[in-house]
Parts: sequence; structure tokens; C-alpha cells
Amino acid sequence: MNRRGFLKTTAIAGAGAVIAPSFIEEALAFEGPLVSMAKGTPPARITRAAVDALGGMSAFVRKGDVVVVKPNIGWDRNPAQAADTNPEVVTEVIRMCLDAGARKVKVFDRTCNDARRCYENSGIGPAVEGIKDPRVELSFVDERKYKMVDIPAGKLIRRWPIYEEALNADKFINVPVAKHHSAALLTMGMKNVMGVIGSNRAVLHREINDALPDLNRVIKTSLAIIDATRILVANGPQGGSLKDVRQTKTVIASADVVAADTVAATLFGKTPSEVRYLKLAQDAGLGVADINRIRLKKVSV
Amino acid sequence: MRVLRRLSQVLVFLVFVFLFLNTEYKDNDVLPYAVNVFLRMDPLVAGAATLAGRAVINLLWPALAVAGITLFFGRFFCGWVCPMGAILDFADASIFRKLKRRVKLPANLPRLKYFILFFLAASSLFTLQMVFLFDPISILIRSLTISIFPGINMAINSLFDALYFTNIHAVTRVSEPVFSFLKNHFLAFEQPQFRLAALVGSIFLLIISAEYFQRRFWCRNLCPLGALLGLLGRFGLTRRRVGDSCISCGKCERDCRMGAIGGDFKSTNASECVECLDCRSICPEKAVHFVGRGRPELLPVNAGRRGVITSLAVGAVAAPIFLSEGYRKVSDPSLIRPPGALSEEKFLDRCTRCGECMRVCTANGLQPALFEAGLSGLWSPILVPRMGYCEFNCTLCGQVCPTGAIKRLSPREKRKTKLGLAEFDRSRCIPWKGESNCIVCEEHCPTPVKAIRLREEQVTTLSGEVIRIKRPYVDENLCVGCGICENKCPLTGHPGIKCTSRGESRAQGAELLTTDEG
Repeated sequence: MNRRGFLKTTAIAGAGAVIAPSFIEEALAFEGPLVSMAKGTPPARITRAAVDALGGMSAFVRKGDVVVVKPNIGWDRNPAQAADTNPEVVTEVIRMCLDAGARKVKVFDRTCNDARRCYENSGIGPAVEGIKDPRVELSFVDERKYKMVDIPAGKLIRRWPIYEEALNADKFINVPVAKHHSAALLTMGMKNVMGVIGSNRAVLHREINDALPDLNRVIKTSLAIIDATRILVANGPQGGSLKDVRQTKTVIASADVVAADTVAATLFGKTPSEVRYLKLAQDAGLGVADINRIRLKKVSV
Repeated sequence: MRVLRRLSQVLVFLVFVFLFLNTEYKDNDVLPYAVNVFLRMDPLVAGAATLAGRAVINLLWPALAVAGITLFFGRFFCGWVCPMGAILDFADASIFRKLKRRVKLPANLPRLKYFILFFLAASSLFTLQMVFLFDPISILIRSLTISIFPGINMAINSLFDALYFTNIHAVTRVSEPVFSFLKNHFLAFEQPQFRLAALVGSIFLLIISAEYFQRRFWCRNLCPLGALLGLLGRFGLTRRRVGDSCISCGKCERDCRMGAIGGDFKSTNASECVECLDCRSICPEKAVHFVGRGRPELLPVNAGRRGVITSLAVGAVAAPIFLSEGYRKVSDPSLIRPPGALSEEKFLDRCTRCGECMRVCTANGLQPALFEAGLSGLWSPILVPRMGYCEFNCTLCGQVCPTGAIKRLSPREKRKTKLGLAEFDRSRCIPWKGESNCIVCEEHCPTPVKAIRLREEQVTTLSGEVIRIKRPYVDENLCVGCGICENKCPLTGHPGIKCTSRGESRAQGAELLTTDEG
């Protein structure tokens, strides 16, 4: 870039920075984020329906993209126990990415129990391997691949090591399972990004409502697809008893992870004034947590 | 024929390594191989565990088979099968190949192994099981598990990490695929780390270093398993016999790795001979045979009556001394045994400290004890939650224990087995100190109805502010003492929650604390 080009770019960027906030605010006021909510069975079909309602996966994934699909594989539990993302949802998301022309689809999670047990018993490991496509790469987290990232606007966290592959991907598709959590109240898309951070992440639970907006500033969700095919309403995030599982047969999707979480929270009868990090995320400009401003598109399958 | 013996050593060793590498969780809740078979076919381990434990242990039937075969075929195990022997032979053929041994060792040194054997027999008879100190298979697997394998693993990882961080594409393009191949087939899933690794490893290296003095120094002079097999196989059918064509060149005697051949070159000490067949192969007159014509000339067992009686006596006296240790009266609260462990006394009677359970432990939580269980409990497995916790759904340690010191549990039984109980340290725990919420222990608590539950309470902070905090409590009826709470506690230094063996299922009276959830 030559000097003239640089000045020009700076001028435009500067002007943009002045005008943009009011512009965005206005746009949001009239045109809130689109969230789709597909209900029915089987899980794969409603997953596809939820994404189709947003214009299909090709609206998000371009030909040649490197895509990270980040499910929750945190616990050594079986699919019925609803502690990990439904494997059928995960594989359908991967298939849609492949159909949209992704060059590579990477799948991983930093687990809480032994990673091998989590990958295997959640059903996600075998299901993803079952796709048998060389573009799909299921891997365990590699300790060497965390990179220290600055979060200048962070309220609680100013620096934190974050998984390179999540940062470097062209698209980050956030595929959590919605469930109860005693610190965050609910864990969904915004909380799911904790699976791509390094270091002693447990300390963040002390101020989880501030930590989550901070992390989501730097780990940007391109598309959130929330598995609510069955949800864990108590003893989360690990569960273990089928008594705590509700069959909600729903998948929620949106390009706005805050909005998607806000809609998913309604399944638990919770609002952003209770799930505080959603409200704080909206204040931080990360998305919309006001249910009245969200354009909800319901689909039945 | 010597070729056959070498082939056997190599093949058996490869099987041994294969089983060692597969003593690991590999996407299967039940291990597909009998990875502990080398320990189960060890008559020394079987004898000691049976004597000390006062029980017939079905798991150990292969040892009976080996003992039976030895009756007919002599001490072949040491020459053809034993992986420790194979390692020592390999060390001789490589490291010590060019060495001219000049040190003259006392002729009575080989007696030591009989003294050790009889000491172990007497102490076991009086229920003190010390076989773990000298059994070669236990030493080998323990050393590999605790120090050698972790060491190799760390070295290889460091090498590939260094290559990775060069950030040179031409380098990583080659090194990373190689690394991932090694990781998938040979390396540990996560770097294993054990207390006492250096000590246990040093003992193993000493055994190898002793080859400096003599070939098979360990087998000739110290190994009680060799002593036992030598006594059993003394009258076997395949003993060395020398034909009339012998020209007394003495080649066989000089070359014998066990020092089993007499000064006349014709007589053999059958309890020392491991039937390696070297003498048969190198004899220029082809006068040496192990089957067929000729009568074997036997040398007497080099044991010494006085020494044998003394070692029996020492064993008998050692038993009450060790068993009256204070540790056995008041057990150390950090003595958290693996799930399915027998009651403490029975456990120590059977545990041979082979390290199989530590090797297979998914979260690297089982560690060798130092003095938590007294001197006679050295290296026995204890759960050290800060290093690794017990996976709720995992039953592998009970599957690999060769002597049944750890019972094999069904997943359902396992989830109900209490290793102990967790207790909060309210002077450390973040919400108990009134600092803020935390919930990490509660989140990780694996019981379906959480044993750690939260209660919102009003707290006045040091600065006088009144806040509401979720404080954690342990429900002792539900807690299984798996230690994940202590492991994941975000505090550095002492954790805010700690597990102890209090309330463990195997203790007497523990029935009062049982759970019905599963």
C-alpha cells in the first residue's frame, strides 16, 4: 500500500468509525437479528431446517473456507444424558459445511473429563469419523496451539491464551447444547467458546458474567446453531440422570450468538435479566438480547 | 537351536511391549487384551499373594501352568521367556559387548537369591508380602510405567515440540505427520507423571548396570523368581549332558551366562542353567546335548543350610515388626485406594506394586505411595487427586490388577464405590472466604444428583459490604471421593476442597454411607 492509499483508507475508516455506531444502532432498531427456531424430528432434519431458514449454509460458508465446528464435548456422558451436543446435530452441520464448499472442517473441544472418553462416549467422535471425508478433521486439543490474545476492551480479562485454530478459521460455527449451569445459569453459545481457551479457565467462573462477553469479543461466532433437541434443566452442566432431561426437539440458529442464546433461554423460561451475561453482551455491542428486537422465524418439521 | 531361543526372547519381548502399550484406555471401557498376563504367569507373585492373602486367586492360574512346565523342562523361563532376562541379554550384546570383566566376585554370591526367596516365603507365610521388592516382572513393569516410559515420552515430545516451534514449514510438514503417527501408536495420550519416578527408575538402571560385573548379574545372584524356578526345574527332563567326545576345552564354561557349568566342564548346576543352549551351539565337538543320550551330571544347589535357615528366620521376624508399624493402626487420611481395592490388610497382602493400575489410570491419578501405608506399603497405588482424579465411569484399574488386590467392578458398582469423601477447607475456598462465587467443584461433581450442592447465603465482606454468594456443601451420602473437585479447584497451592479416605466403601462400617443413585 502506498502513502496515498494509506491516507485514503485511513480517511474512510475514520469517517466510518464516526458514522457507524449510530448507523448500526438505527439498523438494529428496525431490523433486529434473525433467529430461526426449528422444531420436530429427527435432529438432523431440524438442524438443516434451522439453517435453511437463515438462507442456508452457503450464506455463511464460502467455497474454500476453513471452518471450525465447535460442539460441546465436555463430558464423559452419553447422548441421551444431554451434557454434550447431539452427535446427529454435529454431523449435519459438518455435512452442510461440506456441501457449501468448505475446504476443511475442523472439529474439537477442550474437554473437562478425559478427552478420549468424552469424544467416544458423547457419540460425537464415532459420528464425525463416520462421515469419512478427507476434509473433515476431528482432533484433540493440542497444548502447543494456544496463542496469547489481547482483549483491549475487556472488562475482566485483558489477555488470555486462545486456540489458534479457532482464531485462524475463516468461519467459526458454534454448536453448543443448551443446558443448566449453576454459575452462568444457562450454558449455550456464548459459554461454549470457553472450550477454545487455554490456561486455568476455572478461575473465570468467579465472574462468569463479565468473562463471557470479554471472550466473545475476540472469539467471534460466525453462526450459532444451538442444540436443544433435548435439554438439561438441572444438575448441569454434566447431568447424568435422565430425570433432568427434557425432550424439547428444537434447534435454534442465528448469526448473532447473543440473540440465539436469548431465544434458547426462553426454553428454560429464563430472560436476559436473569441470564446476566446476555444483557452485558448486548451492552458491549456483541449482539441483541432484547427478545422484542429479535426477528424470530419458527419452522416446524 | 540357539536361534530358536533368541527368536523366542525377541517375540516374547515384543508381545510384552505390545501389552504394555495397550495397558491404556483406547475408546473401549473393557480392555480387549489380558494385558497383565506376564504377572499372572509369575509363580513368585502367585506364591506370595496366595500365601500372604490366604486365598486361592483364580486370576493366577497361568502361574500354576508355568510352574508345572518348569517341573518338566527346567528353568527355561529365564532363558526363553522372561522380558527382564531379554533386556539384560540385549544390554550385554550391545552396551557391554566389548567389556572385559576383570572383577572377581565371591563364589557364594548366587546364594543371595535363595536367601531372598526364603525370606520372602517366610514373611509371606506370616502375611507380610514383600515380593514387590524383588520380583523381576513387577520391577520391570513398575519401572517402565513410572519412569522409563514417561521419560521416553517426554523426550520424544520435547523433540517434536522443538521442531514444531521452529515454524519452518519444510520441517513441520515432515515432523508433524511423524509425530501424530507416534502419538497414535506408541506415545502416551497425555504426558504421564509420577512421584518417585527417579527413584524407581534408578533401581531399574542399577539392575542393568550390574551387568558390568557379570552377565545376568541380577538373574544369577538376586532374582528370587529365578531361584524358585531353579529349584522347581532341577529335576527336569531337559538338563545339560555332555557326551564322551568332550575334549575339555572349557569354552562352554567360560561362555556360560549363568555360571552354571562345573570346573570339569561336564557337570551342570541345573538350578542355575537357563537352557539358553549357548554351550550346545559353541561346542567344537558337538558334545553337549539337552535331550537324548547321556546322563546329566548334577552339581548341588549352592544355597547353604545356615543361610537358608537364617533367611527364613529373618522373614519370620520381619513380619511382626512391619505389621506392627503405626501406619497400620491409624491410617493416613491421604491413603485413598483405587476403586475396588480390598480392605487395607488384604490389599497389601496381594498388591505386588507392578504399577499396572497406575499405567492404565486414565487421569494419571494413581501414584506410588511413599510412606502413607508404611514401609511395607511402599509404591502401592494411592489416588493423589491434585495430580489426577478417578474418572467416574472408568473401571480399568480393576481390570488390570493381576492378583485381585483391586476387584474388577462393573460400571454400576464402580459408580457407587466410595474412595473416600471430600471436605471443604473453608479458610481456602473462595466462596467460603466470602470473596465471590466459584462453583467449579460443583460443576465437575460427577454424581447424577450432585454431591456438591450450592446454597445462596448472605455474606458480609471484609470491607463491610453485604453480598449474596453461592456456597458449596458436600452431601456425604452422595460423594464418592473421586477427587475431581480437588483436582479442578482453581486455587493454586492447597486446594479449597480435599478428599480423604474417610468413609471409603472398603472400610468396616462404611455400609452406613451408601448411595442409591446410579
